[in-house]
Amino acid sequence: MSSTLKRSPGRTLGRLGLVLLALSASAAMFAPLVARHSPTRPSGLPLRRPGLGHPLGTDDLGVDIFAQLVYGARISLAIGVGAAALALAIGLLVAVVAGWKRGWAEAVLMRLTDVTLAFPFLPLVLVLAAFLGRGLVTTAVVIAAVSWARPARVLWAQVLKLREFQHVQAARAMGGSGTRIVSRHILTRLTPLASAQFVRVANAAVISEAALAFLGLGDPNQASWGIMLSNASSNNALLTGAWKWWMLPPGFALTVVVLGFAFTGYACEEWADPRLASTSGRLRFLSGPRRRPPTVAPVAPAGDPILEVRDLVVSYRRGTPPAVKGVSFEVPRGRITALVGESGSGKSTIVMGLLGLLPGDPVVQGEATFEGRKLLSAAAAARVRGRRIGLVTQAAMNALNPAYTIHAQIAEAAELTMPPDRARRRATELLGDVGLPASAHQAYPHELSGGMRQRVIIAMALANSPDLLIADEPTTGLDLVTQASILRLVQDLKDRLGLTVLIITHDVQMVLRVADELVILEDGRVVERGDASKVASAPTEDYSRRLLNTRLSPLGARA
Amino acid sequence: MTDAILQIRDASKTFRTGTGSRRRRVAALDDVSLAVGEGEIVALVGESGSGKSTLGRAVVGLERLDSGELLFDGVEYARLRERQLRHLRRNMHLVLQDPYQSLHPGMRVASAVAEPLQIAGTGRASSPRVYEALEEVGLTPASDFLQRYPHQLSGGQRQRVVLARALVGRPRLVVADEPTSMVDATLRGSIVQVIRDLRDRHGIAFLVITHDLDMAGAVGEQVAVMQQGRLVECGRTAEVFQSPSDPYTKMLLHAAAEVGRLETAG
Amino acid sequence: MADISLTPTEAFGHQSDSRWSGLVPIGRQFLRALPLAALVLGVAVILNFALPRLAPGDPIDFLVPAEQANAISAEQREQLAGSYGLNGSEWEQFTRYLGNLVQGDLGISTRHGRPVTSLLAERLPWTLLLVGTSVLLSTLIGAALGFRSAWRRGTRSDVRTLTGVMVADSFPPFFVALLLMLLFSVQLKLLPVFGALPGTEAQGLAFAFEVARRAVLPIAALTLAGLGSAYLVARSSAVSELGEDYVTMAAAKGLDPSGVRRHARRNALVPVWTVAMLNVGALFGGAAPVETVFSYPGLGRLIYESVLSRDYPVLQGCFLLIALGVIAANLVAELVYPFLDPRVRRPGKVGG
Repeated sequence: MSSTLKRSPGRTLGRLGLVLLALSASAAMFAPLVARHSPTRPSGLPLRRPGLGHPLGTDDLGVDIFAQLVYGARISLAIGVGAAALALAIGLLVAVVAGWKRGWAEAVLMRLTDVTLAFPFLPLVLVLAAFLGRGLVTTAVVIAAVSWARPARVLWAQVLKLREFQHVQAARAMGGSGTRIVSRHILTRLTPLASAQFVRVANAAVISEAALAFLGLGDPNQASWGIMLSNASSNNALLTGAWKWWMLPPGFALTVVVLGFAFTGYACEEWADPRLASTSGRLRFLSGPRRRPPTVAPVAPAGDPILEVRDLVVSYRRGTPPAVKGVSFEVPRGRITALVGESGSGKSTIVMGLLGLLPGDPVVQGEATFEGRKLLSAAAAARVRGRRIGLVTQAAMNALNPAYTIHAQIAEAAELTMPPDRARRRATELLGDVGLPASAHQAYPHELSGGMRQRVIIAMALANSPDLLIADEPTTGLDLVTQASILRLVQDLKDRLGLTVLIITHDVQMVLRVADELVILEDGRVVERGDASKVASAPTEDYSRRLLNTRLSPLGARA
Repeated sequence: MTDAILQIRDASKTFRTGTGSRRRRVAALDDVSLAVGEGEIVALVGESGSGKSTLGRAVVGLERLDSGELLFDGVEYARLRERQLRHLRRNMHLVLQDPYQSLHPGMRVASAVAEPLQIAGTGRASSPRVYEALEEVGLTPASDFLQRYPHQLSGGQRQRVVLARALVGRPRLVVADEPTSMVDATLRGSIVQVIRDLRDRHGIAFLVITHDLDMAGAVGEQVAVMQQGRLVECGRTAEVFQSPSDPYTKMLLHAAAEVGRLETAG
Repeated sequence: MADISLTPTEAFGHQSDSRWSGLVPIGRQFLRALPLAALVLGVAVILNFALPRLAPGDPIDFLVPAEQANAISAEQREQLAGSYGLNGSEWEQFTRYLGNLVQGDLGISTRHGRPVTSLLAERLPWTLLLVGTSVLLSTLIGAALGFRSAWRRGTRSDVRTLTGVMVADSFPPFFVALLLMLLFSVQLKLLPVFGALPGTEAQGLAFAFEVARRAVLPIAALTLAGLGSAYLVARSSAVSELGEDYVTMAAAKGLDPSGVRRHARRNALVPVWTVAMLNVGALFGGAAPVETVFSYPGLGRLIYESVLSRDYPVLQGCFLLIALGVIAANLVAELVYPFLDPRVRRPGKVGG
């Protein structure tokens, strides 16, 4: 498997697309200089093979094919750009009016959009063109009249999203007029998506024009590539061998223009959706051999500590400064250890690095032993994940797959070490353990509250009775009362099951209620570690003092 | 209270959720009455879904009430139209929780801070008031920050830019919705300090909406507690924290103590 | 022992009931999708009625081949108008048109002199064969390639597939058809040049083989036409799913790569399904030039013939039939969503 590329394909493809389009555009612009003959009037004998005067021969009327080819670029580009501009203008107007004004205008406009979208594109264009005539402008207008709906729909959804953005809300609260907010806050952020839609319509328009022309609905007075193909086809170019100069050039020219639009369009899509562009996102746990379940590694004799990390250095990719800069700590058996730090301290990176869950090609150096076995390799991490180390991931609200019931998702985890029927019983048992009523066991994640989902994640991490439970920000984003109950649950599980727990959090006040050991991180380094109550009562480092002292003094106590 | 700059009287609002047979109405605000005095800081506390953000949005006119009154300086404005509301809005400002999102990523700090002035037609990005506002929230020297884009700032700096934008137009009331929830704990105190300084220096009244009881206890003289759309308790901060009268407030304070947010259980 | 039971606030919002099982969600989804389908059908019917009348010139001129237009007398015009439902007031014409439509009468072909419905019935199965097979193939191949690209996102292999599919997708379908015909029928002489049915009286399996031999090239051209959109949507939706936290969680709980991929794929299927159904409409359209190249006796070829011979009743009939097919595809798409997404099947608590 090849390594992750430095850059996303969008930039390269986008440039390539622009080059192809520029090529066609210059052919269109300088057509009179390039082609010596007229693209519409005969300039020689009909059906001549390519020769000196006519580089690609002549057609059935004696018109120079090379001239038709060069001038054809004008038609394709004009149709593409013209139809796309018109369609985008309509789409943008509909999207902004519907998305910003809401109310009945939105209801009417979006219904209209839905209806237009539901029509088959090409048949509608065909029928419209058949009745409305064959001019070039008519063709562009007809294509635009049918294809404005997709941009309208996509942009409308984005306007709805944008109007809830906080900077838009803030601008509204400041009393900015609708025009001002739309032009400064909405339109500026619609550009990537609008460009992507523009290119998409242009692409479809070029193909549609060619198809219309090929079907005999083109403007017969213009030398378009579709008409050339149609003429060649009806003159049996395939059988006479004339296809080499009469069919292939216009066909490939069409392909080049369409490809130019397609590549540019892809670049715009990446621009509009950075997720598509991210290359750091290769996930190593997506590839590799299928493993045979269930395999339980023999448990090494219980030593202490259960997890030991020495001089861990992690950078997200080769050549970038490390996010974790030589971290050492221990997780003693049967206790709750807390890894505390603020944003950017590298606390989550440590855990994700240890378990081989970091995206891209991270560099993880140093030493880590779990139960006496080395941990820092993809294979070693895969062996312990879920089996010996249970992980409660960050953002637990979204850590459940919306498509499966919670019971199925836990049973699936348990199946790693037991047969399916036992795994199902185990899932039921675990859901009870974390306090979920039986009525909720067959629920889908979206039917549960945040606190309940957090409990499900904890149950899932416990499915294979791990020796170590790692909880990354287990209470973040939950209500106070729920935070308290989750903390109680973790403490209770630790006592009942004899678990070792590693909690990762930014919330030092919260974790002090349960932690036995404290490891304080700042900027990828351990600042201070030791017994939680000792560190809390007498921190030796300046940063720990500041972190521990974040509780605000109540108003009355202030001087 | 006659010197109240903001009065909320019997504010009610319901939202529809769900579809089909599950459609039901959820009361986001249920007869809420609250007053913010001239130059006073009131902390509005509640869990998610308590309606506290809806109330904040209604105060600055982003949300329409179903019933009830809103008075700014004794003038009713809940039922004013967008245009009529505009001059009132110069006296109010909204600060939102996520400093990453409340600044337009393509707008420089100077233009972002100047936006209230531009809307009011009283200044531009180059106005000295923009510079002063940045200095005042601790972004010194301001000239270092004027030309930066939001992504070139840290989270704490961004929230200060948002506060500079809040004070540049000299509003009389600022509604701050979770101003510290996305800021690192070590920086939380300084944001609270900026809020208090702005009040002390310019007499700006604040309605601070938060789920953070610790912060609520530190920021203002008054605290109001909301639960499922209702205002369950309201009073002087020290009194409410020391001897809460409502069972929900008690439960909240108890939970806060349990997760280490407060010194002792209420 | 500590109290670990659910707090009231945690339990708030949870709904436990399984009333929505079996056919109920499908019925509900059907009722939800029906108004739009009816609206689209209504617009299609009205458009079909209005277009020839809105077009510049006398509708009769559309109905009569240009070279005969001057040769016919006023009475003949009158008679023609009668036989095409063009006499009387607009409202009378419309009600008559609707009445005929309900009875399945789409008029008479000017070229063939036969009822349009019988022409359509004759041609429809061939187009269904082409479009159905191509939608199936392009979705399967496109989704397989798209998911494979997504799993390898950011690697050379992904970029190669992405570029390759985009290049293949940029060839206009009818040009692909011409190239295929050139290669397989003219140069290699492996496959018949045109038609759908064998000239000889083949029976049973031999017949099916001959039909397949004639369908393979048009299907290949149309499959390629639908491949790009299926691939791109599969790739981008799988890439977005990979960014979701549940994927990390699936790996964290110990699933092997194929297990993790299954989680992401399951949720990426919804947009793929949507595009497959959109492709039904797109390929019905794309079929016209492709069938024309291969002289394949489907609806598309019929459209081409009616455009050339200005056989407008047939053109309108084709349009109406295709619109009907696309509306049906949209309805089917809606009906399947509850099976793909439990949030549609059991709309519970909204948001988080």
